[in-house]
Amino acid sequence: MILLLQYTLLFASVLLLVALGGCFSEHSGVINIGLEGIMVFGALGGALVMRVLSPTTNAFVVILSCVCASMLTGMVYSLLLAVAAINFKADQTLVGTAMNLLGTAAATVIVKAINTATNPDNPSATIAYVDIRKAFLIWPGKEFSWLTLLTVVLLVVSIVLLYKTKFGLRLMACGEHPQAAASVGINVFKMRYAGVLISGLLGGLGGLVYITAGVSEWKFENGVAGFGFLALAVMIFGGWKPQRIALAALLFGFFRALSNVYTGFPFLTRLNLPSTVYNMLPYIISLVVLVIFSKNSAAPKAEGIPYDKGSR
Amino acid sequence: MEKNKTSFLKKPAVQTLLASLICILLGLLVGFVVLLLINPAGAWNAMKTIMLNFWTFNSTRGQLKNLGNTLVKTAPLLMCSLSVLFAYKVGLFNIGAAGQYVAGVGMSLFFAIGMKAPWWLCVIMATLAGALLGAISGFLKATRNVNEVISCIMLNWISLYLVNMLLAPYMDINMSETWSLKKNFPAAVLPTLGFDKLLNNHQYITLAVPLSVVIAVCIWVLLTKTKMGFELRATGLNKNAARYCGMRDRFNIVLTMAIAGGLAGMGASMYYLTDMIKWPMAVTAVPAMGFNGIAAAFLGGLHPIGAIFSSFFIQHITDGGSFMEKIYPAEIAGLISAVIIYMCAFVLFFKQQMNKDRRSGKKGGKAS
Amino acid sequence: MENQYAIEMLHITKRFPGIIANDDITLQLRKGEIHALLGENGAGKSTLMSVLFGLYQAEEGVIKKDGREVKINDPNDANALGIGMVHQHFKLVECFTVLDNIILGVEPTDKFGMLKKAEARQRVVELSNRYNLQVDPDAKIQDITVGMQQRTEILKMLYRENEILIFDEPTAVLTPQEIDELMQIMKNLAAEGKSILFISHKLAEIMAVADRCSVLRKGKYIGTVNTKDVTMEELSAMMVGRNVNFHVEKPEKTPGKVILDIKNMSVKSHSHSGDAVKNVSFQVHEGEIVCIAGIDGNGQTEFVYGLSGLEPLSTGTITLEGKDLTRTSIRQRSLLGMSHIPEDRHKHGLVLDYTLEDNIVLQRYFEPQFANMGFLRRNNIRQYAEKLIEQYDIRSGQGPITIARSMSGGNQQKVIIAREIDKAPSLLIAVQPTRGLDVGAIEYIHKQIVEQRNRGKAVLLVSLEMDEVLDVSDRILVMYEGEIVGELNPKTTTPEEMGLYMAGAKRQ
Repeated sequence: MILLLQYTLLFASVLLLVALGGCFSEHSGVINIGLEGIMVFGALGGALVMRVLSPTTNAFVVILSCVCASMLTGMVYSLLLAVAAINFKADQTLVGTAMNLLGTAAATVIVKAINTATNPDNPSATIAYVDIRKAFLIWPGKEFSWLTLLTVVLLVVSIVLLYKTKFGLRLMACGEHPQAAASVGINVFKMRYAGVLISGLLGGLGGLVYITAGVSEWKFENGVAGFGFLALAVMIFGGWKPQRIALAALLFGFFRALSNVYTGFPFLTRLNLPSTVYNMLPYIISLVVLVIFSKNSAAPKAEGIPYDKGSR
Repeated sequence: MEKNKTSFLKKPAVQTLLASLICILLGLLVGFVVLLLINPAGAWNAMKTIMLNFWTFNSTRGQLKNLGNTLVKTAPLLMCSLSVLFAYKVGLFNIGAAGQYVAGVGMSLFFAIGMKAPWWLCVIMATLAGALLGAISGFLKATRNVNEVISCIMLNWISLYLVNMLLAPYMDINMSETWSLKKNFPAAVLPTLGFDKLLNNHQYITLAVPLSVVIAVCIWVLLTKTKMGFELRATGLNKNAARYCGMRDRFNIVLTMAIAGGLAGMGASMYYLTDMIKWPMAVTAVPAMGFNGIAAAFLGGLHPIGAIFSSFFIQHITDGGSFMEKIYPAEIAGLISAVIIYMCAFVLFFKQQMNKDRRSGKKGGKAS
Repeated sequence: MENQYAIEMLHITKRFPGIIANDDITLQLRKGEIHALLGENGAGKSTLMSVLFGLYQAEEGVIKKDGREVKINDPNDANALGIGMVHQHFKLVECFTVLDNIILGVEPTDKFGMLKKAEARQRVVELSNRYNLQVDPDAKIQDITVGMQQRTEILKMLYRENEILIFDEPTAVLTPQEIDELMQIMKNLAAEGKSILFISHKLAEIMAVADRCSVLRKGKYIGTVNTKDVTMEELSAMMVGRNVNFHVEKPEKTPGKVILDIKNMSVKSHSHSGDAVKNVSFQVHEGEIVCIAGIDGNGQTEFVYGLSGLEPLSTGTITLEGKDLTRTSIRQRSLLGMSHIPEDRHKHGLVLDYTLEDNIVLQRYFEPQFANMGFLRRNNIRQYAEKLIEQYDIRSGQGPITIARSMSGGNQQKVIIAREIDKAPSLLIAVQPTRGLDVGAIEYIHKQIVEQRNRGKAVLLVSLEMDEVLDVSDRILVMYEGEIVGELNPKTTTPEEMGLYMAGAKRQ
């Protein structure tokens, strides 16, 4: 039971962070299909820092440096989307798809190159962080991560930022009606950059949380196995609203955790469902939700549409 | 050509070709820089290996064998890129080609191994499975206005897990993958029709390779020469106008996605029924073939004939990547094609640059 | 002497590729006056205002505020100079509240960037009381009436303490009562010392509310007059450049048998839960032009959608030449003799990225003449297109292979008219066929419509333009809130009488 709780919280944290990232990007008017790639890069940033830090480093320093590294790499990577979608008015779906492919390919190349450089007999794309990962645990031996707490803090910050500040009001105006925002002097380009960069920051951190969730090494050729897409589903299921996204993340995290640990529950084992069913459920649920609520979708109205100063 | 350079550069076909070449060059450039960073000494050789692929082999036999391997993998890639571009011409982004491809894999192998069906039935079932998956996205778009990109992403994963479940009983436990067709179910292997002879009796070349090219031409004819293509393109460009003209816009959306899905599903059967590849146990990521199809579609200028060349090119460098010295990761080829897709997003911008001096068609001020 | 002008735009020239939108235009707005800017569609009014608002930069000319030269590079500069604008299409975020929309861009915040909404709310309430602009600050834009949305836009300017208020065609979307209210609000604002620029092409409104009026024609400045010194006819002549004879030559004709018979037709609304078209019944005969008149948004669009098959009917029947069309598809209706010149030529009428010839056959590409065994017969399409291009004098850069997007609005409309008329329909539905076109194109289109009537076709014209309604039609049906509230004879009725029906003040 405690295992299920641990995994639910961990996966929910990942999904929540990444979905919040998507939420900021979409509220600014940019669809972010590339969350998967952003997560990979965030994970890579964090993993590389863990790789170079000595296992005896103070836990707080480990957390701080890993978190900063993953946020930074995620943000830098999200610039690919920002430049293409905002400055060059590129097709955002296409850019996102490219970013997902590039994320995994580039991360694999980088890790392999580093591994081969240190040891020519190790051409793998795996980074191990068995000992240093323990810095993230609140209690030794239990999979409750400080990063989960950080996620909760970031959730509160996101809610305040979106709904209580000038920044949030302006950001959402850019996603709903950029021409209106521009007519009252708001710089739509800057706000959209902000939205995409925040999604890079949160998505990158999400990647770090994911690769430290109960595992001590990461094979980068696997990317993040569709978690970025699952986070998109969470965002849609949450209706683009942080509070509801949090609940959706818990629900989806729970299903994801079930697929890992369902064998520990006699009544579930007796159902004799393959673990793939639990893997599949979140996607099916989001599809059903889309079908039911799509007619009055809460999606930002101008998302996906490049902003052109000339059009009025 | 130099004499009338201006008018030559203004031709849309030339511009599309140039834009694609720019994308390729930039992609290769990035790849080269990465190779240099890893180890400057062998970088140029590695780059040459990527670009030459089978030509790096000295013997004709080796060359033909590896050219054949590339061609076998080009067929499904071409089918996926046709799937993407067909939908795109009708205004739909079929990011679900990946999932439709997976559905095609599932059905071809299920019918080949589970039902001991002949190859043609497997191909049909794979096509139908892909078409069904595509039609679901199309149906949701047409009736419930669900964004096809989102529904396709969900269906990609759903179909991946379903196929894992479907194929679980047909695994060769020793190899952790589905049974070899050639050894156990030869009736399901695609016939060669003698095409293997052209490449020194290549063991995996089948009718799939020429068939995929024929289908590309058919798609081109369908889009540009037929009544149906006229309707579908009109729907893609302006669905309100299409509706006003009595075209069945909703039906057309479903039909388009079904055709697109069918192409991707069929593509899967063209690969898996050669026995060159098997489905591993409990796959955790959607195969990249469908996504690479997006790359090939855009790189080919969203033109079916262009897709033939772009698909071959992408597969060519991907295979080339695997022949590099081992200090260079083979994924560099994947990185290059990802950069190429990313650059394809700028094609519109490149074309605008080429047209810059031309008087813009924009009228002064909006009528009000 | 103190400068009497709040804003002066002197010798402004703004060019776009291939067109001079503003050619040496001078506009001087006095403090506290209501100054109308009059001109036809495409006269350059919007461009001039965009220059003033910083959306475009003029190539030549200067802008002066209170006598001092200023540079306006973007809307922020305009705001800083106290210039505010109510755009023709409101710049409001639908899912935000009225309050959020008003403060957007000038949000009061504490030192942490947190919004101080209570404070803002109080100011908005004060302003709305002071200028008698009734709004609910907490209502969402998507839930309130167009009139209230416009008041929100006005409050946006007042909240920013703008001194110069620009109204861009503010009455186009309003009901007559709302127009009256708006006129009163504008007068109040001017009395409070605000200077107002009122952009319009409606002469009656200008005469009613403006002190002075500047007229533009085809990008050129024609002159500025005191409204009390001129008549409406004189203003009209300034606007169009000649005394246009609006009247269309039309021989007497007795309507023949019934072509279109509509009984108890209702169509559901998309904006509210009820019906947009309520229990409408009427007939159109051969050789007759019946006009549906009314103010925009009274169910005309939905009515045409229901009639052409774009929307299903909730009740009622449609019969064309004795055949019941109620449940037939759009294609069937077209084949049975219904032609439709749609309201929005870009949304419905054309596939803008198709060639001219493909747009010509958009309604007929499937006929054996143009398609055989599923394949298009390109040669026949080309010949047919060339025939219509000549017959209807459609001007384009490259003939049949011109991309429709690159053509002028008038010629785009000609493509649609050629296509719809050449189908030889028994019923021609024309919805605002002259919207956004210049006088020459309007005359041409009116002639074509009357020609159809003379040939014995039934014509159903839906129009918002009073002149068009009175000049072209044989019979007028006024639609108000989805109902036909009156049938008038264009020969005997007056604009005033029609106005009362259109405003819902009178019904038969």
